[in-house]
Amino acid sequence: MNAFAQYAVDTVSVGGLYALTALGIGLIFGVMRLINFAHGELITAVGYGLLLLSGAALPVAMAGSLAIAVLLALAMERVAFRPLRGADPETLLIASFAVSFFLQKTLALTVGARAKGIDFLPRLGEPITILGLRLQTLQLVTILTSAVLLAALSWFLARTRWGLEMRAAAENFQMARLLGVRANRVIAVAFALSGVLAAAVAFLFVAQSGTLTPRMSLELVVIAFVGTAIGGLGSLVGAAVGGFLVGAASVILQTVLPPDLRAFREAFAFALVILVLLVRPQGLFPARGLKERV
Amino acid sequence: MAASVSDASLLAVADLEVRYGPVAALRGVSLEVGAGEMVAVVGPNGAGKSSLMLAIAGAVPAQAGRIAFRGASIRGASLEDIVRRGIALVPEGRHIFGSLTVEENLRLGITVRADRRAGEADLEAALRTFPILGERRRQPAGRLSGGEQQQLAIARALLGRPALLLLDEPSLGLAPAIIDQVYGLLGTIRAQGVAILVVEQNAARALAAADRTYVLNAGLVRLAGTRAELIGNPAFDAAYFGVAMSGGAAAP
Repeated sequence: MNAFAQYAVDTVSVGGLYALTALGIGLIFGVMRLINFAHGELITAVGYGLLLLSGAALPVAMAGSLAIAVLLALAMERVAFRPLRGADPETLLIASFAVSFFLQKTLALTVGARAKGIDFLPRLGEPITILGLRLQTLQLVTILTSAVLLAALSWFLARTRWGLEMRAAAENFQMARLLGVRANRVIAVAFALSGVLAAAVAFLFVAQSGTLTPRMSLELVVIAFVGTAIGGLGSLVGAAVGGFLVGAASVILQTVLPPDLRAFREAFAFALVILVLLVRPQGLFPARGLKERV
Repeated sequence: MAASVSDASLLAVADLEVRYGPVAALRGVSLEVGAGEMVAVVGPNGAGKSSLMLAIAGAVPAQAGRIAFRGASIRGASLEDIVRRGIALVPEGRHIFGSLTVEENLRLGITVRADRRAGEADLEAALRTFPILGERRRQPAGRLSGGEQQQLAIARALLGRPALLLLDEPSLGLAPAIIDQVYGLLGTIRAQGVAILVVEQNAARALAAADRTYVLNAGLVRLAGTRAELIGNPAFDAAYFGVAMSGGAAAP
């Protein structure tokens, strides 16, 4: 029983990070049919923002880094994606690769490609024991942060006017605009929210890894994208559940695989993904009305 | 058949051209809708009826011509702005949001209202006016029948308090009894002073309901007239089926 609870905690804390990343990607896909691979650079930017502001008080550094992510997300939308609105999903995807590489290389040229250490929230690494379970404080914080953000996002989408406009735009953008929903505003709000989610992920991820590289978010984004694909592209519930499932698969494989195969854990995880998509190509929780665009 | 465009009309369209690449959907269409008037545009499949509606609503660009609403040009304005000026489109196929509840669909109708509180009060009133929508206010709109969805789409459009309601094929896919209901509803809406421009393939239905009707075929207005002028007029069938008016040839 205890072992099971331990795995559950591991799963939820690993999965929470993937789920939050998947939600950031899923929000943008929902309103724009854009798979934004440059979402990872928002996370990376927050990491370097923390380094840049490491002299400031902690709340200032965190608020400043969050502002960087939101502004970068809005700038991406304005400069790179707005001119392409209504383009094929393939075109949008390639544009997002371009934005991603551009930001990565810019960072490598200015700050350097080598890893930099960062001592962010070191006390989160301390172990604590709760109800006989041994865990890191960081795991607990990750679980709580994921729960709070998932609840807040659900509330925003279900209960607020902007949330309603966003759901309408995700189902049928043209009809939403015919009712007066402002396309530019809905998309900008979605990008700003994806920046907030990226910042939360970055805080947790950087506290856990303690290192920064221009490519640090690549694996996270690829895994989160897999989560959104499993959950069903365009469905936010699907994105969150998919993120948790990938986390669970990863923890379970880490446990059941023989030690010499553990290094290839991701290969087994992706094989499972292929299996899921073979059985349910539309994902586990497909979105409705994936047709009309801006 | 260029109608004279007076600034007194609510909507005045003159010499409107819409092309999709090399394909011309509208080749110089002119028509007018007066305040509180119900006007129909009928024509066969592919006549350009939907293009006309989408161009007026700002959803497709027009390459030439003029669209004036209350005397001001709206050609080239965004769809978000056109609906705020008082033109609401219920497009073909209704386009309700199937995953949202009936109430949420209606709430989107008050997006354009400056006074949200009055909008919410109107929403409650709409749920009483349309009892079936009131009963199902918390259900996903995708579960409604076709006729109920049409009611929802019209009710949603009306919540924006438009001066002009554009309806694209409101009878499409509905049973005759339901079509009666929908047209009954249009009569009520018109009695409240909302002008209606309705596009139909179901010509007899539209002709009987509208004050004036335009017959559109292959992107041109072939004939226009009042109900009295057009019902039983042999020129109507010729225009509808695309036979040249001056030629007098028999319909194929």
